[in-house]
Amino acid sequence: MTTIPDTIEREIIVAASQERVYAAISDPTQITQWFPDMVEGSLTPGEQPIFIFEGHGKTRVLIVDARPVDYFAFRWIPGSSDVVDDVTCVPTTLVEFTLEAVEEQTKIFMKESGFAQLPMDVAQEKFDMNSGGWGYMMGRLETFLA
Amino acid sequence: MSAVATFRALGDPVRLEMVLRLSRGSSFTLSRISEGLGITRQGARKHLEVLRRAQVVTLAPSGRDVLVQLDPASLVLVKDFVSTMDKQWDTRMERLKQFVEED
Repeated sequence: MTTIPDTIEREIIVAASQERVYAAISDPTQITQWFPDMVEGSLTPGEQPIFIFEGHGKTRVLIVDARPVDYFAFRWIPGSSDVVDDVTCVPTTLVEFTLEAVEEQTKIFMKESGFAQLPMDVAQEKFDMNSGGWGYMMGRLETFLA
Repeated sequence: MSAVATFRALGDPVRLEMVLRLSRGSSFTLSRISEGLGITRQGARKHLEVLRRAQVVTLAPSGRDVLVQLDPASLVLVKDFVSTMDKQWDTRMERLKQFVEED
């Protein structure tokens, strides 16, 4: 049986300024260079733009916070492929990017959380279910790795 | 049936909620599993058919209703989920790194 991680975390250091990294994450014309193919709407807190993944559908996200040039966070239904309704009505995970300057470079800390907030008795099943939601990103991953 | 196909079938809030309900109990009738989801019986049937084709649920006639159960076969597929998820973030972070470092 798979254990349930509360969060997924990633920490990397990139050779770019904190301003550059923040823009890459928070600017709709730049985030599309590495994450969704297109963004419809604004990436400002409180807004619910749509992330479009070509060939895999679209999903509405909720921008939770944006604090230049340190922090950017959104909620989404990981992997959902056809969600354009109010994202606050359904279970979501929180994706956070925290930036920190390290000399001439920038440390990016990514954390996705939300699985642990579930009632214990359904946590495993719920997580498994959420795992299903991730599925459509797999196609994108496969394309990338091909 | 590939894991991708199964996951794709779950990539919908209504179907996700149906599977969540199933994961809490044993079996549901079609009427009960679609309660409060704001969909018609026909709509529910359509969603369940997607899940059935992806081998997530099994459907069996039960009087005038339909009995819906999780298909144990599908649950095997989620074992690899954590590594899949990790890989996805690896991919995304790598792409982000490449993007901000290019000039």
